[in-house]
Amino acid sequence: MSVPQSSAPAVEVRELVREYKGGIRAVDGLDLDVAPGEIYGFLGPNGAGKTTLVRILTTLLRPTSGTARVAGHDVVAHADAVRRSIGVALQEAAIDPLMTGRELLRMQGALHGLRGSAAQERAVSLLERVGLTQAADRRVGGYSGGMRRRLDLALALVHRPNVLFLDEPTTGLDPTSRGALWREVRSLNDEGTTVFLTTQYLEEAEQLADRVGIIAAGRLVAEGTPDVLKARIGEPMLHVELAEADSAGRAREALGGLGKVEPADPGAPTRVVLRTAAGKGAIAPVIRALDEHGVVVESVEVETPTLDDVFAAVTGSHLEGAGAVEAAA
Amino acid sequence: MNAAREGRVVLALGRRSLSVQFRRAQLLMPTFVLPLMLLAVIASGTSAAQDLREFPDVASYLAFIVPGTIIQGALLAGLTSGAALAADIEFGFFDRLLAAPVRRTSLVIGRQAGTLGLSVLQTVFFLLVALVFGARFPGGVDAALATIVLAGITAVGLGGIAAAIALRTGSLALLQSIFPFVFVLLFTAPAFFPRELLTPVLRDAAVYNPLTYVVEAVRGLLAGDSALGDPWVGLAAALGLAIATTALATFALAQRLRSL
Repeated sequence: MSVPQSSAPAVEVRELVREYKGGIRAVDGLDLDVAPGEIYGFLGPNGAGKTTLVRILTTLLRPTSGTARVAGHDVVAHADAVRRSIGVALQEAAIDPLMTGRELLRMQGALHGLRGSAAQERAVSLLERVGLTQAADRRVGGYSGGMRRRLDLALALVHRPNVLFLDEPTTGLDPTSRGALWREVRSLNDEGTTVFLTTQYLEEAEQLADRVGIIAAGRLVAEGTPDVLKARIGEPMLHVELAEADSAGRAREALGGLGKVEPADPGAPTRVVLRTAAGKGAIAPVIRALDEHGVVVESVEVETPTLDDVFAAVTGSHLEGAGAVEAAA
Repeated sequence: MNAAREGRVVLALGRRSLSVQFRRAQLLMPTFVLPLMLLAVIASGTSAAQDLREFPDVASYLAFIVPGTIIQGALLAGLTSGAALAADIEFGFFDRLLAAPVRRTSLVIGRQAGTLGLSVLQTVFFLLVALVFGARFPGGVDAALATIVLAGITAVGLGGIAAAIALRTGSLALLQSIFPFVFVLLFTAPAFFPRELLTPVLRDAAVYNPLTYVVEAVRGLLAGDSALGDPWVGLAAALGLAIATTALATFALAQRLRSL
């Protein structure tokens, strides 16, 4: 995360409600703050309210009640000021397939007040930045999904926004394209851009976000850094597999000082489970302690809580995309 | 936001609207090919009408019906422009425009600028094709230029109606389904026959159809004979239509934004 630019939140949401016809509340009393220079990951399953919130924050949808401010401006009362401050890459990149990448960037430049030559220069530099120089004059209809996403990101950056909204930017991308986009998002953040990112991929949130908010049924059910969220549901567990079942008593005694030893499981007499905040760092002391007590160890495995565990703990269900993006980073 | 900046936005949107039009074969067919096909059919099939007593004294039947083709082109330019806007709304591109810091009215006027550009190209094309096939326009170059202006304003007027429908419904399918109504508008105006030869019902309907005055004005201009149509009445009808429907489209956009 880069150094915060000011103390005022980049995004400030208070008691926000958005109700659709039929009384369906897509966003239901949400409170949220995103600091300048932060990458905020908004995590939730399909239909949880992520896109509705992004559409409100980007002035494309009006809230039913409550307030939302982006870059210090109210999204309803000062929508135009918000639009000048933000870059938006919406879900399912809405890009005219009949236009070329260069044409789209020049048009976007004009929409943001850039004159002809300035728009042209900005287009060239952004095409280079997202690796689309070779494809600049090809129609977007012939781009791959990854190329479209990169172009969408470039379009969002034309006017050097303070706050960047990315709505599920890597959904449907292959691991290589996803990794490239993640690197670009990190790079933008290093330059000081605040990033508000929605995703249904746990690893994406974990890899990119400084803080994660979990939304379910329109409500923010948990929020914090990935480590804090994971720590909140429990410490890592070390599963120690012993060579002999009759050494289990000695092992429990040896490990008592290193953390909390879980009660014995009659179904697994050779296993001792230790909970410790040290996680992987406890492996060496555990081996040493067991050796000193003459206990022979077959194996030691560390089980760390994942964001999916956090998600399951706070919502009672697992994310569909959990574990889908391991190869990307 | 200043006027120069909004002007650049309108130009950018107009350029985009026009260039995309030429990259969509399914839009070129109705806007450039269909009017010429109808012109060929009518010119070859109903030219005997020129021998009727009520038919005005004109140099050639082809030159008489070319204004109908030009107005048909304007109608189809307006309709396809509305359909393209509906597609933008349906497929999300319009959101990109709404998320930009531009006047909402510029989004409508930018689309209309594209329609105007398309109509200018169409009219030039139709006039050149007609010339190649033997039509003669005694009104000369000035009349041709005035025709291009009139057709362009008319296309903007018709594009305004289509844009209003697109903004109200956001439905490409609906815009496509109203395609046949273009011909109702066209044939309740004296597009291919003089008003005097229309049936009484059509003649009464023609009085209320603004295209009547535009097509007659174009006919009068190209023939160099104001007895066939008053250019100023045509200009007033076209301008009135353009202003009213652009306002309607702007209102539809405001309504759409309020209902978000």
